[in-house]
Amino acid sequence: MQILEIDGYNARCTARGVMREVSLFMLQDEPIALGDFVMVHVGYALQKMSEQEARSTWELLDEMLASDPDLQGA
Amino acid sequence: MMLSARDWLEKIRALPLTRRVRIMNVCGGHERSITMAGLRGALPQNVELIPGPGCPVCVCPEEDVYLAIQQALHAGVILVAFGDMLRVPVNVPKTEPRSLEQAKASGADIRPISSPQEAVKIARENPGRQVVFFAAGFETTTAPVAAMLLEGIPDNLFLLLSCRLTWPAVAMLLGSGKPGFDALIAPGHVATVMGQEEWTFVTEQHAIPAAVAGFAPVSLLAAIYSVLRQLIEGECFLDNCYPEVVRPGGNATAQAQLMQAMRVVDANWRGIGIIPASGFALATRFERHDARKQFGGYAAAGRKRVGEMPAGCDCARVVLGKIYPNECKLFGTACTPRTPIGPCMVSDEGACRIWRASGVKVSSTKIIH
Ligand code: SF4
Repeated sequence: MQILEIDGYNARCTARGVMREVSLFMLQDEPIALGDFVMVHVGYALQKMSEQEARSTWELLDEMLASDPDLQGA
Repeated sequence: MMLSARDWLEKIRALPLTRRVRIMNVCGGHERSITMAGLRGALPQNVELIPGPGCPVCVCPEEDVYLAIQQALHAGVILVAFGDMLRVPVNVPKTEPRSLEQAKASGADIRPISSPQEAVKIARENPGRQVVFFAAGFETTTAPVAAMLLEGIPDNLFLLLSCRLTWPAVAMLLGSGKPGFDALIAPGHVATVMGQEEWTFVTEQHAIPAAVAGFAPVSLLAAIYSVLRQLIEGECFLDNCYPEVVRPGGNATAQAQLMQAMRVVDANWRGIGIIPASGFALATRFERHDARKQFGGYAAAGRKRVGEMPAGCDCARVVLGKIYPNECKLFGTACTPRTPIGPCMVSDEGACRIWRASGVKVSSTKIIH
């Protein structure tokens, strides 16, 4: 959900047009700003979301292998 | 480069897979995505996806549900619980309320909630009443309950905790010598809070491939690809296919809050038994909010069939991934989402309910192991 307003540990968040009160208590040691996306479960933000895509470490290994001629065939 | 679900499927199909591989998931959300997206049908035939212990309501001890019903009926409390707990049946004579829903129908003050904050709100709005929050869940739900406690709760709010850790059930299966699976999809939301490191025992101690996945099919397929390739290449490591929210170490603040508010104890899993260090109890500083201490006199341990699954219900084996839901002979006949017999058909995270809701109709005799 995206954070629209912050008041202490409480935030108003939105996702797909739905507004929710969300507690930021579990993220109190993280820098949080308006517009950030958070993963929410039972009314609590569990973690900030980044834009990293689903991936497998194999992809990174394959890419490294492909881009480094020294490693090929190793 | 961003791969789509279709790309991942193609990569999976291109893998040189020569044997049958059984991949277990331990998250109701994973099972729902797998079933609803039809991943089983899309994958190569020799890849089996097995729903494992991923439903906290399904393993909540029958004794705890009974205690909650009795507290609601006889202790004059307002009892609040997450919605899908209300229909879980207990073993009592037909003349007595068999679920919180039936207790509510017979006059008990029972209210469904969707957040711990609602429990606090109800307690504040009813200062003259005692409120019991019957909380069942895995780490992802338990951590918010801990946060609620540390933020401060009113004196009239009590907790009936039935919270569990996820990994000890997997450790028990792996330690049993007959785990029934060759690879594991680790739960993304649990890892978000607790850190993916909790699951390295699977790859390091048991040499079983594992990958953390989120709920989206693309993340699940990336994880399935990863564990299959780990098997093929004979190289085991815990992969993180959900980097969007799963960071090294997880949410350290949430873990510290959990350990301040709760302690880890041996715990009973319905139909399965005691699993060491697999449950949560309130830390000493919150003991005066323990509903078991405050209203524990209603436990009636001598009841018939105490702790058991309903007669004929095979939920325990479904939860442990020993059989598929539709191998239970009651599946879809006597037991349906409208007329649930066991907790796995009641809870939104129960494999029986997910399979039935997605249209799996009849019982089958296909055996996993
Ligand atoms: S189908 Fe019903 S009776 Fe059978 S295991 Fe599932 S919940 Fe239990």
